Amino acid sequence: MPAGARYLNARVVRNEDARLLTGRALFVDDVQLPGMLHVAFVRSEYAHGRITSVDVSAARQRPGVAAVYTAEDLGAYLKPGPILVSPPPIPGLVFHPCTQLPLAKDKVRHVGEPIAMIVAESRYVAEDALRDVSVDIDPIDAIVDLEKGLAPGAPLIHEHLQSNAAAHVVQRKGDYAGVRGSADLIVRRRFLYDRGVSAAMENRAVAVQWNARAEELTIWDTTQAPIPIRNGLAQMLGLLESQVNVIAPFVGGGFGPKIMMFYPEELLLPWAAMRLNRSLKWTEDRQENFYATTQERGQVHDAEMALTKDGRILGVHDVFLFDTGAYDPYGLTIPINTQCTLLGPYDIPHYESEFTAVFTNKTIVTPVRGAGRQHGVFVSERLLDLAARELGVDRVEIRKRNLLGPDRFPVNHEIMFQDSAPLIYDSGDYLPTLEQAAEMIGYDAFVRDEQPKLRAAGRHVGIGVACYVEGTGIGPYEGARVTVEPSGKVRCATGVGTQGQGHFTVFAQLVADALGVDVEHVKVVTGDTREFHWGTGTFASRGAVVAGSACHAAAMAVREKILNLASAVLNVPKEQLELADGRVFVAVEPDRGLSLGELSAKANPLRGAVRPGTEPGLESTAYFGPDRGSTASGVHAMILEVDAETATVEIKRYLVVHDCGTIINPMLVEGQIHGGVAHGIGNAFYEQLVYDEQGQLLNASFMDYLIPTATDVPSIETAHRETPSPYNPMGLKGVGEAGCIPTGALFAQAVEDALAGSGVEITEIPLSPNRLFELIERAKEGRT
Amino acid sequence: MILNGTFTFNGPRAKVWELLQDPAVLAKALPGTKSLTKVGENSYEGVMKVSVGPMSAAEFAVNVELKDQVPPERFVMHVDGKGGVGFTKGTATIELLEIKDQAGPVTVMNYSSDMQIGGKIAAVGQRLLESVGKMMTKQALDALNAELKARL
Repeated sequence: MPAGARYLNARVVRNEDARLLTGRALFVDDVQLPGMLHVAFVRSEYAHGRITSVDVSAARQRPGVAAVYTAEDLGAYLKPGPILVSPPPIPGLVFHPCTQLPLAKDKVRHVGEPIAMIVAESRYVAEDALRDVSVDIDPIDAIVDLEKGLAPGAPLIHEHLQSNAAAHVVQRKGDYAGVRGSADLIVRRRFLYDRGVSAAMENRAVAVQWNARAEELTIWDTTQAPIPIRNGLAQMLGLLESQVNVIAPFVGGGFGPKIMMFYPEELLLPWAAMRLNRSLKWTEDRQENFYATTQERGQVHDAEMALTKDGRILGVHDVFLFDTGAYDPYGLTIPINTQCTLLGPYDIPHYESEFTAVFTNKTIVTPVRGAGRQHGVFVSERLLDLAARELGVDRVEIRKRNLLGPDRFPVNHEIMFQDSAPLIYDSGDYLPTLEQAAEMIGYDAFVRDEQPKLRAAGRHVGIGVACYVEGTGIGPYEGARVTVEPSGKVRCATGVGTQGQGHFTVFAQLVADALGVDVEHVKVVTGDTREFHWGTGTFASRGAVVAGSACHAAAMAVREKILNLASAVLNVPKEQLELADGRVFVAVEPDRGLSLGELSAKANPLRGAVRPGTEPGLESTAYFGPDRGSTASGVHAMILEVDAETATVEIKRYLVVHDCGTIINPMLVEGQIHGGVAHGIGNAFYEQLVYDEQGQLLNASFMDYLIPTATDVPSIETAHRETPSPYNPMGLKGVGEAGCIPTGALFAQAVEDALAGSGVEITEIPLSPNRLFELIERAKEGRT
Repeated sequence: MILNGTFTFNGPRAKVWELLQDPAVLAKALPGTKSLTKVGENSYEGVMKVSVGPMSAAEFAVNVELKDQVPPERFVMHVDGKGGVGFTKGTATIELLEIKDQAGPVTVMNYSSDMQIGGKIAAVGQRLLESVGKMMTKQALDALNAELKARL
């Protein structure tokens, strides 16, 4: 970054908010095209069964219905979806890829799986026609429970396989078996972590326009990854990539499930639009979202930690089951994140982790904010709390004793991360982060003075402190093109999609600093393949790190062009030039210079020639691809009170001290953390998908599926620490998921502390007032 | 959903059995029944309207087949209902016991049903399904008892 950067680490107000707050932002459902038809889907009501017949004749007869398609009608287009992320090259890894068809044929494997597609003149007619379709399904016993799914004789979800196991992976570091015998203490528990939805405010939507004259397909899609979607669709539809445009306009929350899924709806609308030569739109309703948009989180861990009597971790052994749902298109990203994140900021010399991914008759599982990281953190943090209790060591103290010191970086964990690179922590400074969090929440004074008083008064107030690391900012790469226009305004186009993170502001800040222009004068374009068509997408907390670094690189290249041209125009060596306030000028003679707009016009002359080795305009494209991700870290702390009679919980204080390397905009970092914590609180104490034994989801609405409301989310205190990453020029690390990763572990710790002495032990997430009440009652029975 | 219970009819078993085999009577007694016709020796077809929580007047096309009949003691109903908001599929076992009472014979009915319920009705009506099921059963049995009284 050039000297005099005004915007780096500044609380710049968001460039996009004026449009969002005044209702002028385009969302997919806002797309209205002439003659547009509307789509609805017939979905399976059974979790598992054989389709014996699908009769759509009555639906085809209904006035206003333009077309009805079943699997039979798709012909060669009926192919299982792609494997989106191949498993990393881990020795001995077993993985059975089984992906979904765009419309189910022969068999259904989860409630909500699409069976037929109805295209009609309005959504009303399309929905009415849904009821004209008669589907006969011969039910098969559903696999809901992971262990029952693996039992011999369990009905097979994918009949060509020997069992319902989708994958098996073992990763080892050191020699856990060898060190176990020398441990003073082994703590061992079973931990459960159940499913939730991402609950984005905007459901998925797809709108498609086929321009038969131009032979061009334009798709507005709520995707986090427009470029991979465009490339994949072009291939499947037999079009050139340049004939397909995918636009991900403003998207009301991504959180993972809107990534490049090639969802059935994403595949079918373009296909049907081309066949019918009509524009089409489908917008998911909230109930469909509960079945048809991917989910996350079912895991069962049998884990143990071996320690010395002074609380030093010798090793961890973990065996877990991972619920991948009915299909496994996203490979093993989530369980490998779990496996890798369990190590946390701690020095764990010996580690053995084994998991089995299990097919179930539930909605497909793909990453949701946190993406398996919270499970690993839950296991290691809970084991540390249990060990602290057994050894009589304070909970913060046992963590301090095990943190990796600043002299240990880079730390090679000798296991493979989700990006197929070895798990290496690039940088971090964990002890001061923990000390700052403990100090901010007043840990010592609370435990020593305040808590005993509260307990004496019959109140159940607990404190928790939990640590985490977060692998962020992985490759492969992103790119950006920066252009100075003759108006002096700057355009920056990048390929990632945007879902509310503030890309229009942070990328603009980076470009504005490089070019010395006002941040409001940088217009950022994201998620439109017409503007930029190289890149992958927004996921794994990588937008700012990878796309941000590309924007910076492109802007620095434009800066170089500005200096070269201005040097020629002004006849001054470029070392003597400066850029500020939208001008380039001689540093010692500021009046001698010209605006970037004027310079841009000179760079694109109407007469004269572009000299060899130069390009017209003040424009550059650059790419950035880190070798591996950068590791963010942090500590969350909270004080909460449990009402022992109703088992409701009130959060008294919640704070986050985190380190995401160099900060571009502290306000946006705080926003990310606040949102993440809200998600984490939902995950910890409210949200749970409840299935019956036949795989019917019993709470597929916000009447029964609780998400935290504004009154349930406390005001969150934050503090920033900055340990720059050596893996990118500005030292950035991601922060998109930090808020929700340790929340479950922290909640469990604080609730247990609030109920200390009652015998309540928390080994599962989510809790709820009901579940906590049961645990309190069970503990009472255990005591009597 | 599992619904089990006992109900006492104020009349002899043979009469109760007769009522339970008469589609016209059942159509009147079962709440929300729009039609019920006998289509075979032991099979019936009908249309029912049910309201569960946010779903009002949801229509189901219902097929009922009676099996394992031991007149006038016992029979099993196989129910297969399909509608715009979901499905129901399962069995109900009905047992009738005659008890001599001072005031005359009474018939005790033991019923147990295990119904799989799926689709929208399961997803958003779950909290209320059991109470709606119990309420509808009670209304039906009370109506049958009243019909029995009228016939005696």
